[in-house]
Amino acid sequence: MSCGVLPRRSAIDRILVSVVDDDESVRESLPDLLQQFGFAARAFSSAEEFLASGCIDQTRCLLLDVAMPGMTGPDLQQELIRRRKTIPTIFITADVGMTVRQRLIEQGAVECLFKPFSDTVLLDAVNSALRPK
Amino acid sequence: MDVQYEQDAGEIKRLQRCINDLVCLLALPALWSGGDISQVLDTLLNTLMRMLRLDLVSVRLNLSVVETPIEIVRVAQSFGPMPPAHEICEALNHSLGDNSPKWPPLLRNLMGDGEVSMVPLPLGLQGELGVIIAAAQRAGFPQQTEALLLNVAASQACIGLQEARLRSQQKCIADELDRRVARRTAELTAANAELQLQVGLLQRLPVSAWTLKPDGTPDFVNRVWLEYSGQTLDFVRSRPDAWISAVHPEDRETASRSFWEGVRSGQGFAMETRFLRARDGTYRWHLNQAVVLRDAEGRVLKFVGTTTDIDDQKRAKEKLRRSEAFLAEGQRLGQIGSYCWRPATDEITWSAELYRIYELEIGMPVTLELIRSRVHPDDVTLIEKMKLVDQAREGSHDFEWRYRLLMPDQSIKYMHAVAHSTRDQNGQSEYMASVQDVTARRLAEEARDKAQSELASVARVMSLGALTASIAHEVNQPLSGIITNASTCLRMLGADPPQVEGARETARRTIRDGNRMSEVIARLRALFSKKEPTTESVNLNDAVLEVIALSILELQKNRVVLCPELADDLPLITGDRVQLQQVILNLLRNGSDAMCTVEDRPRQLVIRTERDNGDRVRLTVQDAGIGFDPQAADRLFDAFYTTKCDGMGIGLSVSRSIIERHHGRLWATLNEGPGAAFSFSIPRTPAGLAHADGIRNIQAPAVTGSAAA
Ligand SMILES: Nc1ncnc2c1ncn2[C@@H]1O[C@H](COP(=O)(O)OP(=O)(O)O)[C@@H](O)[C@H]1O
Ligand SMILES: [Mg+2]
Repeated sequence: MSCGVLPRRSAIDRILVSVVDDDESVRESLPDLLQQFGFAARAFSSAEEFLASGCIDQTRCLLLDVAMPGMTGPDLQQELIRRRKTIPTIFITADVGMTVRQRLIEQGAVECLFKPFSDTVLLDAVNSALRPK
Repeated sequence: MDVQYEQDAGEIKRLQRCINDLVCLLALPALWSGGDISQVLDTLLNTLMRMLRLDLVSVRLNLSVVETPIEIVRVAQSFGPMPPAHEICEALNHSLGDNSPKWPPLLRNLMGDGEVSMVPLPLGLQGELGVIIAAAQRAGFPQQTEALLLNVAASQACIGLQEARLRSQQKCIADELDRRVARRTAELTAANAELQLQVGLLQRLPVSAWTLKPDGTPDFVNRVWLEYSGQTLDFVRSRPDAWISAVHPEDRETASRSFWEGVRSGQGFAMETRFLRARDGTYRWHLNQAVVLRDAEGRVLKFVGTTTDIDDQKRAKEKLRRSEAFLAEGQRLGQIGSYCWRPATDEITWSAELYRIYELEIGMPVTLELIRSRVHPDDVTLIEKMKLVDQAREGSHDFEWRYRLLMPDQSIKYMHAVAHSTRDQNGQSEYMASVQDVTARRLAEEARDKAQSELASVARVMSLGALTASIAHEVNQPLSGIITNASTCLRMLGADPPQVEGARETARRTIRDGNRMSEVIARLRALFSKKEPTTESVNLNDAVLEVIALSILELQKNRVVLCPELADDLPLITGDRVQLQQVILNLLRNGSDAMCTVEDRPRQLVIRTERDNGDRVRLTVQDAGIGFDPQAADRLFDAFYTTKCDGMGIGLSVSRSIIERHHGRLWATLNEGPGAAFSFSIPRTPAGLAHADGIRNIQAPAVTGSAAA
């Protein structure tokens, strides 16, 4: 998958938010909601797929699942830091765990949302991710 | 003068005659030399008769105590008719008596027509040799010279007789020797013939055969041996143990020892040695046996022996022994015994391992009684049944059964037997059975089952914690999709213009995720489905200790001080141990959770078991934690009620349902001081409750009332 297939205007006009999640229902639903918020959205089923996509540079915000087969969300985050491609990242997880949330934020995540989350919580998180520091 | 002269001349003549006679007598031994006793006596008696003009002369000779005396009598013709010689002798003996020293020098006897003068002359100093009796009728007998001559004759006779006797004895010995030599020669000839025959046989025998001289030197070795060993007869004969060079070096010492022991003791030998086969240079086991041949005197004549190639047998035997050993070892390792049983005769043969399994002395006779004494009383009938089955069935069949042994120390062994029955030639059935001691396996299985149930219990008990996470994941994932889709849908519908197609698509997805979610919930419900608890006898104290063992690390990590107060007299209860343990674990966890922020007092957690009214047992977990809002007391047991940020709120609700399934109740109270106590009380036997309740309802309605609460 390449960002080149996106309509050119969309790529310029809209901010790209990428979703990486192994759960199909998330990949189906989240991009639609993000688009409703006015963002461009791409979904990837794995960290590896995202790394290979060529969308890293355009991605302004990353919605990243924590537990995935293969490379996990935190693994991808560390890999991006290593590549000096720091993308504001919001973790989304179905596992309830305050300690995990705490640790992820310490390691540089903007936010950690527990599934299910409301649309407003998501929008708040994305907005804060895009807010220049 | 003439008369004088004549007298003198007569005297001289008489003397001359006497001297002549003396010379004659003295010459007798020369005459006798080489003659035998009868010749001696013959000459002596004839000489005396003629010389002394005797009427009778007799001799009795006692040559030895064993032989009958020789008695000879000579009587002059002038003496007239006489009785037979032995009667005369007897008469003479009678008149003399046995005792020679008492013999008078002269006896006068009436004999025949008149009186006779008899002179007894003892032979030998004491007359031990016998006696000569010289007798004459004429008066004046014996005259002086006659007496002298008689005495000389007697002493001469004595010498002659002794010499003759010596000679005859020598001859006797010589004869005996000759006879013996002849006999021995005959024997040897026969033996030799026999030996020759044997040797001939030995040559032809299909085994190595040989003979040894008494000193062990081989004197005969048959062709088989020479061909086998490649040794020559000369070589083998060269020295007693030349043959040993063909013996395997390892066997030489023992072979030599056995050989020489056998030869020197004259016992022969039997030994096994490996001999080199010249043909191919291989060593093969041989049995060497030697038996001894002895002569009439018992002296060793020869050893006769054979050397038999037993290599094949030995290998076969070794193979058999090894396979038997393997079998025995296999049986020992597998604790498998085998036996053979003939029901008709009750003849039973056991393998060694079976004795070991039954803990009986190996080899003792096996009887049905003996077996009965070991078989568990409840299983003894199996033996009888087998006999019945045996009678009922024809032909061969197999069957299999399990039984127990009750050992003298009251321990139980579990046995698994497989029997195959066949009929022997006589149509009698015969069982070949393998019996395995499966006690260890049984115990291992029991231990494994227990471990598994414990594992299951750990898994199930532990899963309440993990369950929280997994339920959250299972539920939250579809829930997340539902909420996102629903939000999107709303936004699409609220847009200007409304994005109806998109909204429809997201609504469709919402419904799909909703269905997925209800599947998850159905699965969860199945997980918590109200299964009837399995009933077993539970020692609640043991159950508590197991839960403590499971959770002690976690409790210690949370700095909880656990104080078990377990009642000694707690009766056993009937219920599902694992489920009850889940409840106990929940209460401990909640207690521990309630104290996690407590710093100003010990985080003490008491777990108490006690008898409760109405044949019940009660368990209480009391903490020193934050307690709960009395207003919320009722809701604590509601599903999904939780005050913890990572709580699920199902622990107490599940616990209550478990306790209710045990016909008991679970409740919470606040302590006087800080903290709360959660207790459950359950009847000892829920199964018997329905019936017992009927009675108790009348007698103690208050108790059953509280049970139903
Ligand atoms: N020992 C206790 N002390 C105080 N409150 C308790 C105790 N045990 C349970 N509770 C309350 O009951 C709630 C429900 O407990 P439970 O059903 O076990 O769910 P969870 O432990 O997941 O919250 C707890 O969240 C807590 O508020
Ligand atoms: Mg709980």
